[in-house]
Amino acid sequence: MRIGVFVCQCGTNIAATVDTEAVAEAAMSMRDVYHAESIQYSCSDPGQRQVIAAAHQHRLDRVVIAACSPRMHETTFQRAVIQAGINPFMLEMVNIREQCSWIHEDREVATTKAIDLVAAGVARVRGQVPLKRGRVPVVGEALVVGGGIAGIQAALDIADAGMPVTLVEREPTIGGNMARLDKTFPTLDCSSCILTPRMVELKHHENIRLMVSSEVTAVRGYIGNFEVDIRKKATCVDEEKCTGCRICEEKCPSRAPDEFNAGVGESKAISIAFPQAVPLVAALRKEHCRQFIKGKCGVCKKVCPADAVDYEQEDELHTEKFGAIIVATGYRLFDWEGAYPDYGGGLYPDVITSLQYERMLSASGPTGGHIVRPSDGREPRDIVFLSCVGSRAESVGRPFCCNVGCMYIAKQAIQTREHLPDSRCYVFYMDVRACGKGYEEVYRRAQVEAGAVYLRGRVGKIYPRGDKLVVMGTDTLIGDQVEIETDLVVLAVGFAAAEGAGELARRLNIAYDGYQFFTESHPKLRPVETTTGGIFLAGACQGPKDIPASVAQASAAAAKAIRLLSREDLETSPMVAEVNHMRCIGCFKCAEVCPYNAIEKQKLHDGRTVAVIIESLCQGCGLCNVACPPQVISLRGYTDNQLISEVVEVLR
Amino acid sequence: MSKYAYFPGCSLASSSMEYDTSFRLVAREFGIELQELDDWNCCGASPAPHHWVEVLGVLLAARNLHIAGAGEAPLVAPCAGCYNRLKHAQYKLERNQELRRQTSEVLGEEVRYQTEVLNIVKMLNREIKPGALAERARERLAGVRLAPYYGCLLVRPAEVIGYDDPRDPKKMEPLLRATGAEVPHFALKSECCGSYMGLARKEIVLRASHRIIEAAVAAGIDALVTACPLCQQNLDLRQGQINRAFGTSFRLPVLYFSQAIGLALGASPEELGIDSLAVEPDVDRWLKGAA
Amino acid sequence: MADAGKGHACGVRRRGRDDEIKLVGFLCNWCSYAGADMAGTSRLAQPAALRIVRVPCSGRVDPLLVMKAFQEGADGVLVSGCHPGDCHYNEGNYYARRRLELLKRMLPYYGVEPERFHYTWVSASEGGRWAEVVAEFTAAVEPLGKLHYAGGAPAAAAGEEDGDG
Ligand SMILES: Cc1cc2nc3c(=O)[nH]c(=O)nc-3n(C[C@H](O)[C@H](O)[C@H](O)COP(=O)(O)OP(=O)(O)OC[C@H]3O[C@@H](n4cnc5c(N)ncnc54)[C@H](O)[C@@H]3O)c2cc1C
Repeated sequence: MRIGVFVCQCGTNIAATVDTEAVAEAAMSMRDVYHAESIQYSCSDPGQRQVIAAAHQHRLDRVVIAACSPRMHETTFQRAVIQAGINPFMLEMVNIREQCSWIHEDREVATTKAIDLVAAGVARVRGQVPLKRGRVPVVGEALVVGGGIAGIQAALDIADAGMPVTLVEREPTIGGNMARLDKTFPTLDCSSCILTPRMVELKHHENIRLMVSSEVTAVRGYIGNFEVDIRKKATCVDEEKCTGCRICEEKCPSRAPDEFNAGVGESKAISIAFPQAVPLVAALRKEHCRQFIKGKCGVCKKVCPADAVDYEQEDELHTEKFGAIIVATGYRLFDWEGAYPDYGGGLYPDVITSLQYERMLSASGPTGGHIVRPSDGREPRDIVFLSCVGSRAESVGRPFCCNVGCMYIAKQAIQTREHLPDSRCYVFYMDVRACGKGYEEVYRRAQVEAGAVYLRGRVGKIYPRGDKLVVMGTDTLIGDQVEIETDLVVLAVGFAAAEGAGELARRLNIAYDGYQFFTESHPKLRPVETTTGGIFLAGACQGPKDIPASVAQASAAAAKAIRLLSREDLETSPMVAEVNHMRCIGCFKCAEVCPYNAIEKQKLHDGRTVAVIIESLCQGCGLCNVACPPQVISLRGYTDNQLISEVVEVLR
Repeated sequence: MSKYAYFPGCSLASSSMEYDTSFRLVAREFGIELQELDDWNCCGASPAPHHWVEVLGVLLAARNLHIAGAGEAPLVAPCAGCYNRLKHAQYKLERNQELRRQTSEVLGEEVRYQTEVLNIVKMLNREIKPGALAERARERLAGVRLAPYYGCLLVRPAEVIGYDDPRDPKKMEPLLRATGAEVPHFALKSECCGSYMGLARKEIVLRASHRIIEAAVAAGIDALVTACPLCQQNLDLRQGQINRAFGTSFRLPVLYFSQAIGLALGASPEELGIDSLAVEPDVDRWLKGAA
Repeated sequence: MADAGKGHACGVRRRGRDDEIKLVGFLCNWCSYAGADMAGTSRLAQPAALRIVRVPCSGRVDPLLVMKAFQEGADGVLVSGCHPGDCHYNEGNYYARRRLELLKRMLPYYGVEPERFHYTWVSASEGGRWAEVVAEFTAAVEPLGKLHYAGGAPAAAAGEEDGDG
């Protein structure tokens, strides 16, 4: 065993507080160390060459580099030692910068500590054995969860790159929230005109399999090799047979809430959410259907000309394999009613959400594009918009900005003027955030062309006066209270994560924040990756976003997925657990604690049943190593002996 | 029998005697013993806490806490203003050692400030089960629309008071419902009445109180029910001024919480001091309506 | 490891003054070790008694390893992992929490003051927090002085230490 120790000066970063020469000298007297020197910049090209040359000259088989954190340059030096003909796992990095020179001032103290740490590194590398990375093949298909604009974009991008995609959507149709919008800022083009073609393209794409009314129920495996359970809920309609004629919906006697229209209007127990739905197939909601509640009805089955209705239909369970997963489950509006008693908490019919207003503006919506007061069906003249309801509101526990409210209020104010030329719009705002390309222009149009009156301040109270509503607020610019008697109030309600987002995140084993938005791996540099390899994020599920940002992120996620799927196989870390089968007693305590189900039972020739590690699944956490009663499992790279010898050295 | 130290405060001892009378009556009916605090003094009301010398805002209230602290019984202060001052003093003394030292110095002994302080709603909710009241009320006020009006001081600031929802208070409702009355939603139940601005800037009070009365009338409410003498005064005593200022002719009674409960128990308007309100409700019609 | 090798002993005590305390910290690679790096990047000065040993997960820290450290002369042992719920391996720190809490309660029976052992959670972004943890833990152990632990950890704890010890 011949170890070389290289002590980096890192210019003065280390050398200013650690006497690197002294450390190198001390290292020379450590066991099995045949060479030690101090290097000015070990990570630089000349520095690396110096290491390689010394390795050759002194016939080194193990290398210790005392420099910065291994999190910084471990791979750099692994590559260097490979060039010196040394196995990359025979390299040990000792952190004498972040955890030594940068946090101590006293040179003697820092030098002593550095020597301790180098001794520990030497002890550790002595216990190291050459390891080889494994390889696992990559399944060449992607899964996209959620079929809003983000999911649609991601699926199309991957499919266009020639790779198969499965898109799983919980609702009976794709389209997500964008399908509910009338026009879209900043250009105010019609939402369905730009969305519907993409939905249809997706449906007919040869590389895409669309599964609607479906949810992911379990996820196993790891990057390149996910195994996913998908449950397709029974909708009592045969997707192959249904022609989308909607006769069933017309004749259905059971009324049901209209979720697509955000509660404006009513729907039927069997229905198609909107005329451009994809797939254009009816779905039956059992909880509202007379056939299922009362046990008799059968109207839809009778009237269906295609014989597509099937009350006996059962949930289908599918298990599929994917190499990459893109999560694009979007958002819903924050549940404002409980949080805002001051605004009536849902008691006043003429206080509505922006999404409800959006449905009213839509020509194909429940009011046929007419703006009316839900209470009496009359056209409003005065309309008050409130921004930041459940956004930027510490008092209701929603401190973040919804990113789109300012813009869609401006959009809706412009549209209101187009629909009702005599109307007057008032907007209570905190700040108008119009930072995107072309956004400020929309805001100006709302003020100048549509004549919307912007009042800077929050609204404290809304209450009825006769058939009108009184909105009491402050105008912080003039420093006084204002009161507006109005016909309709539109609340720009903030974003919340999709229902069940946290649960899905736990199934996928990805991180999420306190509001159940999924967390990216790095806020700046890895914005579409999750902390779990092979799972990517797109759209509003990661945080409030408008359509341009959702689409951009979706394409970025698709690019990441394509990069992964285009590889034949992936390298795996060899720092995994290992069982000494001779001494395994077959208790399987290890399997109980393994978070990855990476431990299997295996029957040996001698009749004993022992634990074996599936190396491609093991992530190297070491839980089994600790749990094993006879102590016969050992985590490569972090064996008991290695850790103990480190402890012994730092305490010497 | 539950026992409380009772802090009437200046309002209940003078301008709002009917609050005191009705409160004592309700307490008696439910066998609650009220022991008036010995040698109590003004809580400091609105002027004291606005003085820049912080201890002055605490001292007056603290002396009352100190007196109550000599006994075991919790302290009840039906006036929302007094209650608010007592809670503030407690809150500040709890957190500020220097203030504690100064207060003790003035009192001549270590200040006792930890007595439990209750407002009337909390106390009656604790002592009277809605079922028990309902049994005695026998729907006496059925059909009467009584809306609770909380104002500001009873529930805010939440950090100091820590009772009921500061933005959507509801704690008067169970007992009010038990009287048999209908308790409709009242949007302005915790909106400010204008408070003590009545002396310096009367127009503020008139505007604020007008809004409340107007909204209540529009909501078809027969009477507001409050626990604050100042709110009661602004809404009731000043209703004539409001009508003159706004050209309206409202006649909306504003009762004390204890008066509403007293009526349900069968006490007469005279016993409850209802006859001394500026806008007197037609109690006979209320009772007939139910009968 | 029967390599004859270069047989220099490193049994020379490196630290001059015997009254200085020595602390060992086991830090998980994903959160706390990165947090300690961040404290360094932010140049947050810390007491120097602690020596960090990197482990993949706080769940890798065998209580026996902690006892071994005391036996080898540590005056205090610190374990730090990802915050509960944030474990890189999902649940490793939950196992750590259970085991280490138990260990903490058992320490008095071994004659070790429980203050000499601390486990905590520090994330990769909490450089400031890490510096505080080191300062607080050092300050907690310092008044206790050196530990004269007589041993008594089950023999198995030692594993089989190789070399010349
Ligand atoms: C009133 C209003 C007006 C707006 N106007 C504009 C505008 O003019 N311009 C603009 O750029 N933006 C606008 N936006 C924002 C826009 O709606 C979003 O940016 C966009 O819809 C985000 O798309 P997405 O695909 O990320 O999410 P979503 O549209 O929410 O789609 C998510 C999809 O995932 C599905 N899903 C959820 N959970 C699961 C699950 N567990 N399994 C399977 N499927 C699941 C959902 O059913 C849904 O179909 C507006 C928003 C609002 C509220």
